[in-house]
Amino acid sequence: MEKKMGIYVCTGCDIGESLDIDALLKVASGEYKVPVCKSHPFLCGAEGVELIKNDIAGEGVNAIVIAACSQRVNYDVFNFENVIVERVNLREQVVWCHPANDEDTQMLAEDSLRMGIVKAQQVSLPEPFQAENLSKTVLVVGGGLAGITAALEAARAGYKTVLVEKEASLGGWAAGLKKVVGLRPPYTELEDLDLAEKIKEVEGNPQITVYKSAQIEKIAGAPGMFDVQIRQNGSTASERVGAIVLATGAVAYDAGRLDSLGFGKYTNVVTGEMLEKMAANGGIKRPSDGKPVESVAFILCAGSRDKSHLPYCSAICCTESLKQALYVKEQNPKAQVYIFYKDLRAPGTYELLYQRVQKEGAIFFRGEVYGIGEVADNQLVIAAEDVLAGEGIKTEPIDLVVLATGMVPTTAIGEKLVIKAEDEKGAQEEAPADEIIRSNILNLEYRQGPEVPTLKYGFADSHFICFPYETRRTGIYAAGSVRSPMDIPTTIKDAAGAVLKAIQCIELTAQGSAVHPRVWDLSFPEFFMQRCTQCKRCTVECPFGAINEDEKFNPLPNPTRCRRCGVCMGACPERIISFKNYSVPIIGSMLKAIEVPEEDEEKPRILIFACENDAYPALDMAGINRLPISPWVRIIPVRCLGSMNLVWIADALSKGIDGILLLGCKHGDDYQCHFIKGSELANYRLSKISETLNRLALESDRVRMVQVDIMDYDVIPGIIEDFVKRLEEVGPNPYKGF
Amino acid sequence: MEMEAKELSMEMKEYIVMAGAETLDWCMQCGLCSALCPWRLVPGHLSEAFYIRRMQRLGQLGLEGFDTEEILFACTTCGMCQVNCPRQVKIIDNVRSMRSTTVEAGFVPTNLRSIVGSLHANGNPWSEAREKRLDWQKGIEVPVFSPGTEYFLFVCCTSCYDPRSQKIARSIVEVLKKAGVSFGVIGTEESCCGETVRKIGDEELFKKLAEANINLFKEKGVKKIITTSPHCLYTFKNEYPGLGGEFEVVHYTELLAGLLAEGRLAPSGSLKNKKVAYHDPCYLGRHSGIYEAPRQLLGALPDAELVELSRSRERSLCCAGGGGRLWAEVPRGERFGELRVLDAEEKQADILAVACPYCMIMLEADCLALDKQEKIQIMEISELLNACT
Repeated sequence: MEKKMGIYVCTGCDIGESLDIDALLKVASGEYKVPVCKSHPFLCGAEGVELIKNDIAGEGVNAIVIAACSQRVNYDVFNFENVIVERVNLREQVVWCHPANDEDTQMLAEDSLRMGIVKAQQVSLPEPFQAENLSKTVLVVGGGLAGITAALEAARAGYKTVLVEKEASLGGWAAGLKKVVGLRPPYTELEDLDLAEKIKEVEGNPQITVYKSAQIEKIAGAPGMFDVQIRQNGSTASERVGAIVLATGAVAYDAGRLDSLGFGKYTNVVTGEMLEKMAANGGIKRPSDGKPVESVAFILCAGSRDKSHLPYCSAICCTESLKQALYVKEQNPKAQVYIFYKDLRAPGTYELLYQRVQKEGAIFFRGEVYGIGEVADNQLVIAAEDVLAGEGIKTEPIDLVVLATGMVPTTAIGEKLVIKAEDEKGAQEEAPADEIIRSNILNLEYRQGPEVPTLKYGFADSHFICFPYETRRTGIYAAGSVRSPMDIPTTIKDAAGAVLKAIQCIELTAQGSAVHPRVWDLSFPEFFMQRCTQCKRCTVECPFGAINEDEKFNPLPNPTRCRRCGVCMGACPERIISFKNYSVPIIGSMLKAIEVPEEDEEKPRILIFACENDAYPALDMAGINRLPISPWVRIIPVRCLGSMNLVWIADALSKGIDGILLLGCKHGDDYQCHFIKGSELANYRLSKISETLNRLALESDRVRMVQVDIMDYDVIPGIIEDFVKRLEEVGPNPYKGF
Repeated sequence: MEMEAKELSMEMKEYIVMAGAETLDWCMQCGLCSALCPWRLVPGHLSEAFYIRRMQRLGQLGLEGFDTEEILFACTTCGMCQVNCPRQVKIIDNVRSMRSTTVEAGFVPTNLRSIVGSLHANGNPWSEAREKRLDWQKGIEVPVFSPGTEYFLFVCCTSCYDPRSQKIARSIVEVLKKAGVSFGVIGTEESCCGETVRKIGDEELFKKLAEANINLFKEKGVKKIITTSPHCLYTFKNEYPGLGGEFEVVHYTELLAGLLAEGRLAPSGSLKNKKVAYHDPCYLGRHSGIYEAPRQLLGALPDAELVELSRSRERSLCCAGGGGRLWAEVPRGERFGELRVLDAEEKQADILAVACPYCMIMLEADCLALDKQEKIQIMEISELLNACT
């Protein structure tokens, strides 16, 4: 497309009073020969927008640079069909955080405009990826409470649903419950779960296809076009679906490992699941002789919050045990109930249940259980610490001991696979790898492994605050206790949430758009295959497993799996991966557009690559709060720090830029990176270049990476100032002027 | 691995619950009670030994240890913990029930033996003869209760026998007379209301005293009772109805405040610009919810400047005399009654006014112990009123 550029400088919001607008327009018209260069005092107003529209219609302008406010605001106002729009942030990041009518502020504004212009010159309009034969069906894997709810919610929203359950009947764990904790006032009564009703509704709904006694044999493809093979009764059925809800739940921790608590050793030590079964089928009796129980002890956190078993809290064992204590009391109000706990976790209305159990006379002990012994008549005696009395205590003989065991997500069961780049030269430092467990649930035909990557305890999740439901595989959304231990009401809400994410994915995929967090983005990576060296970096490092490989190790991108973060672009040593509006050369030419003054002018230049998700808005907020920022910085937003290609650092340094600051999200266990591994990968890649810098007689201190989050706006000026000071000590870049 | 283990006794726990600790299991051991307990405000052995939260825990488990004298009989039943308990545990009932497990078994702490004995023998805790119950009336005319009398004035045993306290009884009578109230005293057949002995845990003796009183009051045709002590007030109001004794009960300050409002009581004279601070007795304030009447009476004293103590009303600090503690020996410096005198000093009060005979005994002793008697006078409200009417 033949481009005709137009530059529009807004002079509102303090911009006009703080900068030499004529000089700024001269940069565009003089240096870059931009044919249409205008300013307006209120560009985002109706008149300003009209001015632009007239130029588009009348002058044929089709590539526009708006030099005004941040790209994070007014994006809907400055949106013109089939016109390239680039934004230059003169307001938040220039005039609001730098002194007005100052030589350095003017230089900053001009550099910002130069970067915007060269970007607009180089980008082209994304053409959305249009897949064929797209499906809008939702696949729900697992027919327990979460799966049933998800299927019903999807069907109610008008989407065809396929539900796969490995057992012969639907209902899962919840189907085995005698009663559930009441969720209506007064919150102290036990209720029936209306699961049978729901199952009937699922099985009678023409929108829902149910496969029971079935398993997923294979899932190939990508969002909008997953091809699923379902094995049932010796034959295989095929379904094409658009998105997947993973709702396979959790199983109870193996009590066989809890012999220290007497399980397997003493007949009258049972698990919570066993007690529930007894209660639902004829009453709670002593396994040793079938006699009704006079006293029952519950041991909570049996193998939970325990480093040698499950280190985490399973969320429901406390309240399930409280409920079961009421079974005991209902059966025999005089029965003695003892409850041993580490911390009693009964939040919200569960507190009222806890109070009821207390008032019914159950005795609670906080502290460590030292041991269980058997006495006459198969009764049991528990020795424990009672923190509250500050004493060690020993119980009277007890008829039955119940171990409240925790949840193990179904995704945690299986052989662990660690996906690594196979480096022919052998032992080199490896990029951080995902852990995938061969749990035989989804059986994905993905280059990175057959299941979704898991968090540290085997739960299938992404970032639980920023992206609940999202797994690290686009189009696959986890719901219920496979994602995180949760109770019944939370599971029901969770299932509805995950289905909504699945539907969003289906609809956005049909539009060719990315899913969260780049919902508006129609671009996708293109590979210049002639130059590919089959190094596999992109296929390994993509946080979402979007890229498969052919048998010759050529990357096979799946655009609908792609989140458009650009991590592949940052990974590629041959720089063959680019987006229409985001590429190694585009950013490279932006940084080359920065004017670097001679050393004797004593005006150092610092380049900031700022993550668009947290660091860039934080910089905007620093401006909104009028926090002064060093005049030496030039800011380039990046989709993710993981998209940063190391060549940009080399380019910047060889141009004489004194230092480069990378502002990205927190990584590690509680990562905040919107693309999971991007900032971690950037950090890892950076660790590899310091050696190179030293060899070039360039101090590795010239490149610094700092983790910031969106609320760090108040510390960002200090972070920058600190870097400026270090660069003063290091001295000017010796390549200046070359 | 194991610390020395004590064996649970559900039998003992049941015994405590049956004795009246019905809310024992409601306690979630948050510890707010121990934190609010006045014992935290003083140093010393008892303060270190007595934690009401732990005592209730031991009770919940029927564990030995709660029954040691210093733990079991430390509570003054001031009610600070109980009114603030997030679970509405009736902590004082629990204390009383735990005490009863040992007292009913015949164990009574040494310092309380004589008062229990005297209550049995004389119907008062002061080891004084029943016949001397009206000795306080020396020098004044006190009407005798008859069927035509509106109010029966029940004088607390303490004000019947304790010389300092007798003055309170006399001043109350004088003021009632001046206000033209129809009242009368029954006489030596009256017995102690039984408040303290119930808190000590002697349920049987309490019942004996209460039943004797109820029968007597009914026999004499009593409908309305004025009490001089908030402890009697509490017992008549809250404990007697359950035993068949339904009476209309008022503390004298309530009655007088009503008369003041009606103009039937008009203090004159002058308090010569003295600063008067009021100490809310636990059993009048927290236990009975009466905060305004005493203040209205003090406010009517001519030329008196009323000052509020920093700890007042619901947050009032106990004098340390309730729950049988009136008869306990506590070393100087470890009594929270002393802190109460210092509270008054902090506000530069000349007079610390009380409305309870126990508070009078405790605070006067503490004032002397602190050697502040020249600076601060402990006075009963009725005494101030009597001086000004």
